[in-house]
Amino acid sequence: MASENADHAVWLRGIEKQFPGVIACAGADLRVRPGTIHALLGENGAGKTTLVNVLAGVYRPDGGEVWVNGQRRHFHSPADAIAAGVGMVYQEFRLVPSLTVAENIVLGAAPRLLRSSEIENRVAELSAAYGMAADPSRPVWQLSMGERQRVEILKALWRDASVLVMDEPTAVLTPGEAAELGAALRAMADDGRSVIYISHKLDEVVAFCDEATVLRLGKTVATVEDLETVDRAALAELMVGSSEGGYVDRPPPIEAGGEALVLDGVSALSDRGLPALSEVTLTVRSGEIVGIAGVSGNGQKELAETIAGLRSPTGGRVELNQQDVTQTPPGARYRLGLAYVPEDRLGVGLAPKMSVVDNSVVRSYRSQRQGLMLVMAQCLGFCRDLVEKFGVRVGRLHDPVAGLSGGNLQRLLLGRELAEQPSVLVAAQPTRGLDVQGVAAIQSHLVAQRADGVGVLLISEDLDELLALSDRLMVMYEGRVVAELDPDAATRGEVGSAMAGQVSA
Amino acid sequence: MIRPVLARREKVIPGTQAVAFVVGIAVALVLGVVLLSTSGHSPAEVYERMFDSAFMGSDSLARTLERATPLALTGLAVAVAGSMGLWNIGAEGQMMAGATIAAGVAMVADGLSGPLLIAVMMVCGVAGGMVLMLGPALARSHLGVSEIITTLMLVYVAIRVVEWLETGPWKDPDSFGFAVIEPVPEQASLPGLFGRANIGTLIALGLLIVFWLAVSRTAWGYELRLAGSSPNTARYAGISLRRKILTALLLSGGIAGLAGAVQLTGSATRLESGLSNGYGFAGIIVAALALMRPSGVAVAAVVFGAVQVGGQSIQTLGVSSAISDILQAMILFGALVAAVFFNYRIRWTGPAGQLPGDEPEEADLAVEGA
Repeated sequence: MASENADHAVWLRGIEKQFPGVIACAGADLRVRPGTIHALLGENGAGKTTLVNVLAGVYRPDGGEVWVNGQRRHFHSPADAIAAGVGMVYQEFRLVPSLTVAENIVLGAAPRLLRSSEIENRVAELSAAYGMAADPSRPVWQLSMGERQRVEILKALWRDASVLVMDEPTAVLTPGEAAELGAALRAMADDGRSVIYISHKLDEVVAFCDEATVLRLGKTVATVEDLETVDRAALAELMVGSSEGGYVDRPPPIEAGGEALVLDGVSALSDRGLPALSEVTLTVRSGEIVGIAGVSGNGQKELAETIAGLRSPTGGRVELNQQDVTQTPPGARYRLGLAYVPEDRLGVGLAPKMSVVDNSVVRSYRSQRQGLMLVMAQCLGFCRDLVEKFGVRVGRLHDPVAGLSGGNLQRLLLGRELAEQPSVLVAAQPTRGLDVQGVAAIQSHLVAQRADGVGVLLISEDLDELLALSDRLMVMYEGRVVAELDPDAATRGEVGSAMAGQVSA
Repeated sequence: MIRPVLARREKVIPGTQAVAFVVGIAVALVLGVVLLSTSGHSPAEVYERMFDSAFMGSDSLARTLERATPLALTGLAVAVAGSMGLWNIGAEGQMMAGATIAAGVAMVADGLSGPLLIAVMMVCGVAGGMVLMLGPALARSHLGVSEIITTLMLVYVAIRVVEWLETGPWKDPDSFGFAVIEPVPEQASLPGLFGRANIGTLIALGLLIVFWLAVSRTAWGYELRLAGSSPNTARYAGISLRRKILTALLLSGGIAGLAGAVQLTGSATRLESGLSNGYGFAGIIVAALALMRPSGVAVAAVVFGAVQVGGQSIQTLGVSSAISDILQAMILFGALVAAVFFNYRIRWTGPAGQLPGDEPEEADLAVEGA
């Protein structure tokens, strides 16, 4: 066997990894040749991060084999993986802000009894070798995100990593910095090292990488040997697969009503302060479902948050039922009829450590008061009705919601948002990660809301769901709405092209 | 390699807290047997003396309550901030600030009748604590400056100010040269209950009930708990985090300030730099024992007070103060460790790096979706 694998820098073979209630990897394969930059693609939850964490020794696989540089490995800790030459650069940097660049790089792997000036010289040599300028004596807190990332990479090179794993490296970078990163990675590949590059940005993947592996639902669904010949639209389509199981079909279109939600030239920044939404204009009428498609990270999250009032737009107007709500705080928007099912169910939509009752009244606690006091009996009654009506399977109503399954969390959250008859519903990834029953339940609720005259904005990464449920389908790319399609006429291929930024005029 | 890790309990079994508490203290007492016998004392005799001096007879009970009162107030102060996930480490200083303002007002308003003067001093105590907290609270709510550091640093400022007042402007001319401040007016002493206990205990108890109801049963308390447990959910619900942080910290400071005024008009006779006597810092332990809940603070304060009273009394048996301190620390440590098991359980886990709080699905989404 060994000879067969000798020419691979990394061979992950049939990796299986299961977490309570979730199968993250179901036999994923990944082969990376030395001296290449290998893209690892897949939608959120496809198992990319779990797979590389297996390679990095963070998780131990339930099944499958890990081969690094022709040797079978059993990593018990990240330290084992580092020793075997696997270097990991996470999205959240793991640096000590008050230490200098050189100190951060050698931390935990410093040669004994060496003067700091000498260490700094050696760090400077290393950074020069790969064209990654970094002043070794500067403290890390003074550095930009791009410079910090260089320090992370140098840290891995200092430990003599032959395989470098980069998890969405350009999410924190400006376009200029991203190009520099591409050049540095190429220098490493030319030096015989290999790079595993996780990204959602197809442009970069095509520009930086040699080969690609696409994961979906924990399995490898495609490997691309030569990225130069492949069509970006085909890649996009491979990434957004369909979940198993059927889709609730929407009944034939009914007459859409008045404009329930209007966005006019709305722009907003991401959490990192980079432009994430540019001049998005769209309208959702009462009684229709408008779908938003796109590869994740193209502004969908920011769009939902801006509509909900959780992110301030840098330009444009948001109107709810003909009323300008651009400056209206989130609570008031809800009272004006805007229901919001956020992408992060736990942590935004629901408070994990609080009870089912407490979570059920997040929107309505103000009306469960008598004087200053919350009427517990009333809250309990409200919660019981909700649990019953939406079929939430719960233990005791006073237990924390963190113990509920994904489907039940979503039923509770959606039920709460729909309890007071909203006029607009914004649902971000409402069926992601749910089992077949959960998907069907949530989808039928969306369709029922449409029949009741609610304007629904459905943001999803599941293309089949969007095609089945939407009356109109918009595609976002790099923060813009680049296409509007008729879901009954559009093919998956057409949507895929638009998602990859290739718009046929 | 199999190793134990702490896993958060998904279901909290009612009554675990009390059981864990008792078991924790019992384990500490068993370990204390070793400590006491190796230092040449009879554990049975020592424990009997501790228990008797803290609980048996009205005088003993009164001594315990006298100790427990400021602890309950500072514990409540820390717990109110704690229920929002904030740490008021400076209750010691706010207690001093409250006592200082109350003492200053008593000097100029000594013509007032007893009940009125006491009421005014209580209000001033609250105000004093809030004033000292104002800077840290605003810095936290508007600039995100850690309240842990700022509240702690102001402790020393408050104590030094009292030292300065003692030796300077407020030095009692009739003190025969001693650097002390004049005693608070006679009529400003809190009426006694029994033994050394005074109605300060009732004030603390009343406040605990008020805050227990406010936190667990009012819309205000709901917002506070929501904001503390999941800030993004609170924002989503339209709650202003800034205002919640500000009110929680100011209330926390005010309650600690009240502890100062209660101590000044209760057990103490005059304002002095030793008035806070560590009660503010001990309040952090009380709040931690109470799991940041006002309802638990009363029990935790009485246990803490009893341990202190008991620890002092065994010194009459010839137990050195060092051994007594170690024993007290062991008991509190046992109770604190037990408090952990109320929310967590031990789970045996295999693979490296797989931590209990790791909800892999969520972690995956969080990393990839950023």
